[in-house]
Amino acid sequence: MLPPRPTNRFMLPRCEGCGKFHFYPRPACPHCGGARLAWMEPSGRGEVYSHSTVHRAPSAAFKDDVPYVIAIVKTDEGPHLLSRVVGVSPEKVSIGMRLRVRLGDRGPEFEPEA
Amino acid sequence: MNAFIAGVGESPLGKTPDLNAMNLQHAAALAALADAGLTLAEVDGLLTTPIRVAQWAMPVGMVAQGLGIRPGYLATLDVAGASGTAMVHHAAMAVATGQAKTVLCVAGQNQLTNVSRDATVAQLASVGWAHPEYEAPYGPLIPTLYALVAQRHMHEYGTTPEQLAEVAVAIRGHAALNPLAHKREPITVADVLASKMITTPLHMLDCAIVSDGAAAFVVTAHPGKKKPVKLLGQGYGFTHAYIGEHDNIATTGAVQSGREAFAMAGVTPADIDVAQLYDCFTITVIAELEDLGFCPKGEGGRFVEGGRIRLGGELPVTTHGGLLSAAHPGLAGGMFHVVEAVRQLRGECGARQVRDAELALAHGNGGIIGIHCTLILGNA
Repeated sequence: MLPPRPTNRFMLPRCEGCGKFHFYPRPACPHCGGARLAWMEPSGRGEVYSHSTVHRAPSAAFKDDVPYVIAIVKTDEGPHLLSRVVGVSPEKVSIGMRLRVRLGDRGPEFEPEA
Repeated sequence: MNAFIAGVGESPLGKTPDLNAMNLQHAAALAALADAGLTLAEVDGLLTTPIRVAQWAMPVGMVAQGLGIRPGYLATLDVAGASGTAMVHHAAMAVATGQAKTVLCVAGQNQLTNVSRDATVAQLASVGWAHPEYEAPYGPLIPTLYALVAQRHMHEYGTTPEQLAEVAVAIRGHAALNPLAHKREPITVADVLASKMITTPLHMLDCAIVSDGAAAFVVTAHPGKKKPVKLLGQGYGFTHAYIGEHDNIATTGAVQSGREAFAMAGVTPADIDVAQLYDCFTITVIAELEDLGFCPKGEGGRFVEGGRIRLGGELPVTTHGGLLSAAHPGLAGGMFHVVEAVRQLRGECGARQVRDAELALAHGNGGIIGIHCTLILGNA
């Protein structure tokens, strides 16, 4: 079984059988059914698959963040994952924009590739 | 499969501060039974959904006890927004296998007046549609998760905010003709675009309302006393629970649910007279129009232009006013689409009646476009 997600680096589950990354973590590889899985570090690069700028906070905990960009990031290794795009004004975010990961308090976040 | 919807009904809808969830469900159940010419004593099957405004440990038991019945077949069903249409299918299986003769399906709650709207938004955001560990910490609203679908659809197919807005305008126009609807004041495309931006590209009026209310219908093995309405086909389509990993979010499980339902009924999208599409957000309707086969993939935005989904158009959609305008009290929201399909097929809809409606489609969408249940209903 996979241990909890490491927090000191950006890691994704990878199947040691077929070599492919996936996300979310699950008991077996969604590509080949293999059960030998490990957290591995991908390139940390990807692109915006879709995005939305939130103007109305879901709860008081997010009020100070508004407006903020929620995105589905397509990693270069394949898996899609929900995250935030930071370090850029929301209106400049567009589908296809190249991203690189950075670790934030909420988990991995993405910023425009330099 | 011989199964009919013999009765339909609803509670008062909109803002009903004096009625709790049980009061609302009781009112809807009695209305549907009266419509069918049946009594509670004849009910031998019961289906309901969970509610979120009170802690009902065993929802179907609470409802049975509240109604004072002891059905031999009973279950609490939850496929999220697809529950309304899925209830018809489960009830039909019960009557087709002889487990029950008269299955009452009833659900609803005081979603609006039980708590504040802020509390409802926070509660909905924490229900678990975003993964609690990997997604929720980033702060998406449920509308944000649909906004991601809309943004991608716009990118892939050129769908515009005006086309999304037309869905809200058409459905509000239908609600204006429904005396029971929660929101009835007509709106324009400009109104939608000028309404508060919630989560780009979705404005306030691109999103479903929050209502009090309950709906009910009675599924039987026999046609009943009114003009018969028979279940001709149904299908499911499941793709995912969390949308973050889904790799093709502009296409939904309605592709599969529609294909199965049409094949079972032996009809095509062109045969459908009226479509009660699940309308939690404007983008949902555009995706469903495409994925159910009413237009080619990517053409949904252009399809809704020119009044095509309005009453009098080529395919009137969600003629009661839907979740966008008539009522959205939580999991029961999709039941009203079934209620309206039955009334259209009986010719009972008055000012919003689709002339000569003989074949209706009712569609439920649950989660973040993750689970779909399509029904095709017709005059037997």
